[in-house]
Amino acid sequence: MSMSNVKCSVNGLPVQREVNAARLLSDFIREDLTLTGTKRGCETGVCGACSVLVDGEVVKSCLLLACQIDGSDVTTIEGLEIGGELHPLQAAFMEFGGLQCGFCTPGFIMAACSLLNDNESPSEHDIRHGLSGNICRCTGYMGIVKAIQMASEKIRAT
Amino acid sequence: MHNFEYLEPASLEEAFDLLARYGQDAKIMSGGTALILALRQRLIEAKAIISLQRIRSLKIIRWHGSNLHIGAASRHRDVAHDPNVKEHFPALAYAARHLANQQVRNQGTIGGNLCYGDPTTDPPACLLALDAEVILASRSGIRTLRLDDFFQDYFLTARRDDEIMTAIRLPQSSATHQLYRRHLRTLAEHRPVATLALAVCMNEKRMEAVRVAIGASVPVPLRLSRTEALLEGATLSTELAAEAARSASAEIDAVSDMRGDEMYRRRIVYSMVQSLLIEVLQ
Repeated sequence: MSMSNVKCSVNGLPVQREVNAARLLSDFIREDLTLTGTKRGCETGVCGACSVLVDGEVVKSCLLLACQIDGSDVTTIEGLEIGGELHPLQAAFMEFGGLQCGFCTPGFIMAACSLLNDNESPSEHDIRHGLSGNICRCTGYMGIVKAIQMASEKIRAT
Repeated sequence: MHNFEYLEPASLEEAFDLLARYGQDAKIMSGGTALILALRQRLIEAKAIISLQRIRSLKIIRWHGSNLHIGAASRHRDVAHDPNVKEHFPALAYAARHLANQQVRNQGTIGGNLCYGDPTTDPPACLLALDAEVILASRSGIRTLRLDDFFQDYFLTARRDDEIMTAIRLPQSSATHQLYRRHLRTLAEHRPVATLALAVCMNEKRMEAVRVAIGASVPVPLRLSRTEALLEGATLSTELAAEAARSASAEIDAVSDMRGDEMYRRRIVYSMVQSLLIEVLQ
């Protein structure tokens, strides 16, 4: 096994680990760091359930090696709430029914986060286009789109 | 996924050293979206992965005389947002902005895309219509190839194992119209069923310097020379748009697979060519 040293920040906290070079970021996050909010769905880069932010931009953690994030800032769903308060996206997903079973939700919220970083007032088209890398198999997308629109309004107002 | 060594050279020189040491046992990784999936699905094997992510010179987008050089390790996101790309190559900015999904655009790179040789993606047809060339560097020097010559076959390119693509070179375009279209069956689909790029200099309604390129519905993205010849110097009309559409749909070696059979692909290409030319006419 060939090991690689990874030094990064995860949800604002410094992390330093020796990892197998072939370890996926999704496995590193879930198993080594026990941050199980990030889900593994298809593990072929299609479903988006494993989405996390690297340096503020969303990526699929099943398509990235853990050693590629050396020197980066990683944010997972666990890192979104601030001082015990839910992130406006998290609150809006609850309020507007943006989830059913919840498995895809962390990925959707991370993708939405990245979308709002790029575009603070996305149209419905922008949201649907921006979230095309994430799949929900229970509820459909009406609640998700609505939640993101409402969260973006709330973020702009504060 | 099987074990391998992960190497991050800080310069091209270091990367060439590693390539010389590992030879065919090494695979070069740029963003990694396609490579990691192929490794995990055991489509390819490697004893060493040589990542280009620390080589800053491969991420620069800038003019060299009248050519825009896009560093091969520029992510699709960087290409989509680059002011020079947006101003001078709007078709490429459009393709980069719509490729796959947010996550892939934030990680995947333009050079990685070309070197993988996957015909079912956006950059190839778009870059073909823009007369792109690719720069390949190795210990023995630098080669510049036209993109048409770089794509050799399905998932096969002219890059040698000792070469690294350093940049994509785009000559300043004199086209008055530079358009790129991709057909998806549903919004959630990441891979287009067909892609079409058109670059043309419209002199009133007369078409000059016509470039028509097709991807995704063909095993190797290509320029349509017969359709280009039909349009070159001709006066654009709705009749000509239909004739060119017929020509394009007949000219391609249409693929037939689970995402669409040959007849379906030809029909899609027909309607894409026709509607794009009508758009130019209007």
